[in-house]
Amino acid sequence: MVSRIKGRVRTGEWAARWADLKYTLFLFRKNLLVMTGLIVSASFIVLALISNYVVNPNLAIPKGYPPGTSYPFERRWSWNANHILQWGPSINLYDGPEFFPLGTDGWGRDLFKMIILALPVDLENAFIIVTGAAVFGTLLGAFAAYVGGVVDEAVLRITDIFLAFPGLVLALVFAAMFGRSIPTLRLAILLVWWPPYVRLMRGQILSEKEKTYVEALRALGAGHLRILFRHIIPNSIYPILVQATLDFGGVVLTFSALMFLGFSPTPSLPELGNLAADGYQHIFDAPWLIIFPGITMLLIALAFNLVGDGLRDVLDPRLRR
Amino acid sequence: MIFVLFGVSLVIFYLARGFPTGFDPVAPYINPKMTAEQIAEVRRVHGFDQPLYVQYVFWLQDVFRGDWGLTGIWAQGRPVLQVFSLSFPYTVQLSVAATILTVAIGLPLGIISAVKNNKVPDHISRIIALTGYSTPSYWFGFMLQLVFFYYFTIWGLPHLPSNLAVSPGMETVVQRVTGMPVFDGLIAGNLQYTADALSHLILPAFSLAFISLGFLARIVRASMLEVLRQDYIILARSKGLRERVVIYRHALKNALIPAVTLTGMFFAGLLGGAMITEFVFALPGVGQLSLQAVFQGDSNFLLLYTLVLAAIIVIANLVVDVAYVFLDPRIKY
Repeated sequence: MVSRIKGRVRTGEWAARWADLKYTLFLFRKNLLVMTGLIVSASFIVLALISNYVVNPNLAIPKGYPPGTSYPFERRWSWNANHILQWGPSINLYDGPEFFPLGTDGWGRDLFKMIILALPVDLENAFIIVTGAAVFGTLLGAFAAYVGGVVDEAVLRITDIFLAFPGLVLALVFAAMFGRSIPTLRLAILLVWWPPYVRLMRGQILSEKEKTYVEALRALGAGHLRILFRHIIPNSIYPILVQATLDFGGVVLTFSALMFLGFSPTPSLPELGNLAADGYQHIFDAPWLIIFPGITMLLIALAFNLVGDGLRDVLDPRLRR
Repeated sequence: MIFVLFGVSLVIFYLARGFPTGFDPVAPYINPKMTAEQIAEVRRVHGFDQPLYVQYVFWLQDVFRGDWGLTGIWAQGRPVLQVFSLSFPYTVQLSVAATILTVAIGLPLGIISAVKNNKVPDHISRIIALTGYSTPSYWFGFMLQLVFFYYFTIWGLPHLPSNLAVSPGMETVVQRVTGMPVFDGLIAGNLQYTADALSHLILPAFSLAFISLGFLARIVRASMLEVLRQDYIILARSKGLRERVVIYRHALKNALIPAVTLTGMFFAGLLGGAMITEFVFALPGVGQLSLQAVFQGDSNFLLLYTLVLAAIIVIANLVVDVAYVFLDPRIKY
């Protein structure tokens, strides 16, 4: 790999890692779909980070109706909603001076602005859940595989139990038990998402710890923790990264599905699933309420899945040569 | 396997009843007219005032006797097993239909993707597959309803029904035998009923299959690529065999091994995933009921539901392991 760098050939561990990374980026750039996914997901993240400066967050607070009442419905649509074929500016429901690109929701809030305000909520939670699941699963899997024996067996059995659950049911029961709050939902989804990481990491470590370099390290007198954290885990972390990227989209969808099913802490919280939940009973007379939050979710998940899919191809050692 | 089911029941039992906010198991046995002392007496008689592990043992004893308890008011307090078994066949029918669609669409997508690796068909198939598992399932269900029911009606095209298992008024036309409308219609020889049930099945099944067909396509692609790199494929090509024969007779057979075994897992996964689809299309399946059970706080129904699904997942895993041995003679246990 080192020979691929132009100019002075550097040696040493970090130089090798750097060269590896450069080659990875080179492979990455070649794939148009993956680059598209990367750009889209990056722009979603940036938009989420600056959303509070783009849109006034106070707009999300509904005015006029006490919390809990979503109807009487004051939805407006700047487009003609009767026939999709006739989409275009019209005075069908609303002819005020303000233009709502995606219409308004049940509280008369601009749906476009609400979707922008929803991005940080969804992305932040997905990030926390995926990181939590990956870190917990990785550590548990690495520990179990490295120690082996009874510990390994016990961890594997517990993982099997959680893998056999219909995931959504476990999350639903957990969320129903501990009330409607965002930390509860995070824990509920975390409960469902960690087992695959344990399996993945365990398999990686089992094959990695038999390699000669581990034996060499042991002969050099390196401690167990040093071998595990400094050498084995960094060498087998790539599949975890790929899995985490691929899971990101899935977690966004699961989180919003729980919100959609009614686990939102407040009915007016701008969150994609919650915005869609506002619209599903009015699917035929106000379809934009569910169409646009759904498309946003689809785009977020698709972008992250494209990146993950590309990462998997790029990091697959058999395809690299 | 027994161990896993035991663990699953323990987790759900403690999660559902072990906390002060938990689902109260006494709910089916009381009515609003009862006084506090009467409720306490009912609680004592059924053992709901005992410590949780004692309650769990009681519950386990009842289950081994075939008594899964009663549902709450939301299902008129009927026995859990009865409520469940009346609705379960419909969920099975939905999952079977979705599995068939998954294989019928996902398999060709995966093959095309592998054969035309890194060309336009591969990219198209990759986009379809990734869109499939990036789609919020409930949203996709509503979009299908919106287009194929609502807009097709407006445009005067032949439209598909948007909810329920059969058209209103047709539920009692044929006698219930299997509980799966399509098969019941066939058994009764009532083709009109069968067609009606099928037309009600298309949208939910497609909305359910759309999520999983992407996974299948990606797996088939990966294993097909793996096989196409092997020596015997080069040999087959160098013998002068046509490309079609090489792919469908030589490569596909070996590439299908992971796909075939995974179809069992898909079926198990779809049974669980049917919950949201049943909610969106207002279908009379167990997923929809379990959702109600969560919101109505019915631990008895949830225990049965999760145990049956977990059992199916475990069995599917087992079948996968066994099927590997039959399909791949290199693997021996």
